[in-house]
Amino acid sequence: MSNIFDFKLVFTQIPNLLLYLPITLELAIISMILGITLGLLLAIVKIREVPVLKQIATFFISLIRGTPILVQLYIAYFGIPMFFKWLNYQYGTDFKVADVSGFIYAVVALGINQSAYNAEFIRAALLSVGTGQIEAASSLGMTYFQALRRIILPEAITVALPSLGNSLISVIKGTSLAFTCAVVEMTAQGKIIGGRSYRYFEVYISLAIIYWVITIIIEQILKLIEKRLAIPDQVANYVPEDEVRA
Amino acid sequence: MIKIEELSKRYHDNIVLENVSLDINEGDVIGIIGPSGTGKSTLLRCIDQLEVPESGFISLGDKKIDLSKKNKKDIYEIRQNTGMVFQRFNLFEKKTVLENVMEGLIVVKNLPKEEARKIALEELKKVGMTAWANHYPKHMSGGQQQRVAIARALAMKPKLLLLDEPTSALDPELVGEVLDVIKEIAGKGFTMLLVSHEMSFVRNVSNRVIFLDKGHIVEDGTPAEVFDHPKNQRTKDFFAKMNLMNQPDYII
Repeated sequence: MSNIFDFKLVFTQIPNLLLYLPITLELAIISMILGITLGLLLAIVKIREVPVLKQIATFFISLIRGTPILVQLYIAYFGIPMFFKWLNYQYGTDFKVADVSGFIYAVVALGINQSAYNAEFIRAALLSVGTGQIEAASSLGMTYFQALRRIILPEAITVALPSLGNSLISVIKGTSLAFTCAVVEMTAQGKIIGGRSYRYFEVYISLAIIYWVITIIIEQILKLIEKRLAIPDQVANYVPEDEVRA
Repeated sequence: MIKIEELSKRYHDNIVLENVSLDINEGDVIGIIGPSGTGKSTLLRCIDQLEVPESGFISLGDKKIDLSKKNKKDIYEIRQNTGMVFQRFNLFEKKTVLENVMEGLIVVKNLPKEEARKIALEELKKVGMTAWANHYPKHMSGGQQQRVAIARALAMKPKLLLLDEPTSALDPELVGEVLDVIKEIAGKGFTMLLVSHEMSFVRNVSNRVIFLDKGHIVEDGTPAEVFDHPKNQRTKDFFAKMNLMNQPDYII
């Protein structure tokens, strides 16, 4: 064996891996959007204490948080087709289960997994907005959902942003498990490349570097957003237009 | 005319308001006074449906609305016809002063942005806060925030303005500016219910004073009647205690 560790290979194969970066990002972003939307709904159901739905939400969150994501991916990949096959058999429907790509199953599993975690901190963020402001919005005649959209969410988002960032980072790393649903994303491609040359270790180092760089970029973007969302420390006084002309 | 009838509210066994009825004429400025915990704030909050009373009716014009029924349409109708000024201002933290005042006009009244802006600037001018239009609530003193909150309520052109201890959370030296603003709008014929502990101000600004005690109206009359010739023993005691506090510590 000429060399145990091929240092150069770690960097030269990065472009090959990056070919699959779009798939990784697509997986992450779509499941994140699903996770936030579903998480927000769960949070609102819990805050508004909607009967029945609240119990379902609590059960759902407990179930999702209590099972490993890998198991959830397997269940999605094998369970959903089985369910539709059963539907087809039972009711004579004609769902084309075989045509559904693994990508969909992976997104559904990752998104649902995220939503359970997101629900709890979105709920905390929504509750952090003072009741005074909500009462003020109500007294103006706003409905709860108008107040939610115009008053509560804009303020809650600053509170939720750091946790949302965490969530995004964890979902990006979660995508590396999508191979279980037969999706070839970056990590899967790494395993394939490694399989060709038996240089697995180098590939994993390359992958580690790529994921870390992505995370650093996300951290920086979040910092920028946080800065933009913050209330400015000082602003200029307002001068009426007619006075400007004078 | 706005009519409140048989308003009752209790928290568990604690009766806060019991069969309170009140006729409010247009342009009335009614001062509501009384000891702490007698339901003054609760009365206003029940009118604005921030609390749901066990029973009670409110008539706005011809329409009589049951306050104890949680009918969404009625609730929004009441709230759109009443404006509330809170003890703790409750401005929208993430919005500028101008946006705070425009918010209800845009979201609730569906006015176009330009028109809302025009109305908001007018209202801000009335409370002397035009220069602060671009600022955020956290940049301002309590008195300034309360003036903006008053502008926000007035911009909606409410039939009835509810002021819930508007100066209680302010530093003594900031109380004056807010009272000046209230006095000015009272002079313009707005119908108001004012809960306050500023006795001399209530006497000055209102044309009718109500004394609430243990959930009942025990005194109702012109300021001169209530302050100078209270009929009820409880009212007499209340003013006696007040005067005791105003006496000098010692006399040479």
